[in-house]
Amino acid sequence: MDLSIFKPHSSHTKLIVRDGCPVEKFGMAKLEEKSYVHQSVSRKAAVIVILLFAVTLLAFVCLFIGSSHMSIADCFAALAGKSTAANTRIIWNIRVPRVLAAMIAGAGLSVSGLIMQTTLNNSMASPSTLGVSNAAVFGANVSIIVFAGGFLATGNNLSNYTISANPYATSLMAFLFAILSILLILGLCRFRSFSPNVVVLAGIAMGSIWTAGTTILQFYATDVGLSAAVIWNFGDLGRATYKTDLIMLAVTVLGVTFFMPMAWRYNALLSGDATAKTMGVNVDTLRFVSLLLSSMITAVCVSFLGVIGFVGIICPHVVKRLMGQDHRFAIPATILGGSLLLLLADTLSRSMGNGAALPVGAITTLLGAPFFVAIIFSKRGDVHAAD
Amino acid sequence: MLQIESLTFRYNRRAAPVLKGVDMELKDGEIGILLGKNGSGKTTLFKNILGICTPLGGFILFDGANLLKMSKRERAGKIAYVPQHIQFGALSVFDSVLMGRVSRFGVKAGKEDYAIVESVLADMQLENYAARNVEMLSGGERQKAAFARALAQEPKLLVFDEPTGNLDIANEQLIMDEAKKLARDRNISILSSLHDLNQAMCFGDRFFFMKDGIVKYAGTKEQFTEAIIHDVFDSDVRIIEHEGEKIILGGNKNAN
Repeated sequence: MDLSIFKPHSSHTKLIVRDGCPVEKFGMAKLEEKSYVHQSVSRKAAVIVILLFAVTLLAFVCLFIGSSHMSIADCFAALAGKSTAANTRIIWNIRVPRVLAAMIAGAGLSVSGLIMQTTLNNSMASPSTLGVSNAAVFGANVSIIVFAGGFLATGNNLSNYTISANPYATSLMAFLFAILSILLILGLCRFRSFSPNVVVLAGIAMGSIWTAGTTILQFYATDVGLSAAVIWNFGDLGRATYKTDLIMLAVTVLGVTFFMPMAWRYNALLSGDATAKTMGVNVDTLRFVSLLLSSMITAVCVSFLGVIGFVGIICPHVVKRLMGQDHRFAIPATILGGSLLLLLADTLSRSMGNGAALPVGAITTLLGAPFFVAIIFSKRGDVHAAD
Repeated sequence: MLQIESLTFRYNRRAAPVLKGVDMELKDGEIGILLGKNGSGKTTLFKNILGICTPLGGFILFDGANLLKMSKRERAGKIAYVPQHIQFGALSVFDSVLMGRVSRFGVKAGKEDYAIVESVLADMQLENYAARNVEMLSGGERQKAAFARALAQEPKLLVFDEPTGNLDIANEQLIMDEAKKLARDRNISILSSLHDLNQAMCFGDRFFFMKDGIVKYAGTKEQFTEAIIHDVFDSDVRIIEHEGEKIILGGNKNAN
């Protein structure tokens, strides 16, 4: 159609921001001008750059802290491969995969949470909404308790199960059940054209079934099996290897390469299903693919690392409060925020545990929940205030 | 031109049909008003035209093309919607309006998209709100933002569900005038539902009275007779003429 009718009538309709307030342009010098659009974009981009810087910095701090009391100089030397063999091994075989795992899993869980909340139009949704975590826990429990998977053979020594006969047996089982749960729910919800509330309720129901199954399994388990299963549930970044990091990274990158170009469509979805449809968004397909990908990311992270709660709820909410819901910026900010939170939690968990790392899942929640409550109750940046 | 022929629809297999063979026709640049009691099927008809619901039978043609066979994106390029209950995310007014163009730009907005949004914001007198969070605006301003979003979509047909529900008289006038200007200048058709019959007569060119899932009466202002209004709304009104304009007075004249 003829677009000329929609062109700006004259230059005075252009929006200008001066001293932080939009003002109309009445023949101001061109150099002073800064379009509102660019102002807003550059502010949000600045936040993302700061987050990126913080994540990089914290990743190095995280590398330098550990139970072996290496000095920072030692750490740098070891990174360059010029320190003792032991130090080099500690850095490259233990700390680097762990730091990478924190960054990747934090990013993955956090962005899944954002996408779940948007596509299900529900601020309580989290990466585990479709019962993914519960299913993964059930799968792991089946592997540990029923098949004595992996490490039971080594008796009570729980710490070295990842190097036993088949280190991936438990993870694989957890992953299979998580995927089964996702497919069951998404399959069922096809009949109701993915109405958000139906998906959420079906997810809760399915999650409860897996939890009940886990309880029954644990009731029949031996003492050792039970403790092994409970320990598995604690999220632990120490289980990560380069291989698991790579798999988590691949799935997360796959998800994000789908999520990012859909940013405007997610924005449209915030106006409600019906309105989004009239704006040309294929709501049902978008919801299906988004849920599938974000659940996949969660399934992989939980299968390798155990349950790490709350990252997927807290990070998206903090980002939305601080930056608004524009997904073009919210997606990258949530990714970086998740990495930051999990790195911070891991650093704390390793420095508080007096040699042994505390479960990182507990730390994320202990750290996150009060901050979260403070953000929710603060008046500043309250974007959800009613008009 | 929008042509609807014997359109039928029901919400599910066990439910009774809501639309039982709707026929109507709206020419380019015309303002059509849908009138009828609550539950007469006005919103359902809108949903079928907009592709939110899929009809059971019948045809919806737009400029001769079958709307029911178009992709959502194609349809969004022709028809825009201003819903009754307006919802936005925590976005700036500028971004909320820009969002209307998602069916055109898809992934990344270009210069032309920004130019159109700026022009629409100026038309709607929303320039000074561009940087504000749309969720923090008053009901009337949000209505204007939703209207601006629909305009940014560059539609050939604009569907309005109860456009003036939240507005004070000044904003009501602004929206109505802007809509009328659009219809005239840009040859855009408008299909709107309204409850206020006087407002409807003032605003519309063509009127469709819905009753029991069909368009029972259609035509110009001449259709506003005491008999038709009684039949459609089950309500007694008086119609008086003042300076050549019809005025509809509600209430039973014998009640006092």
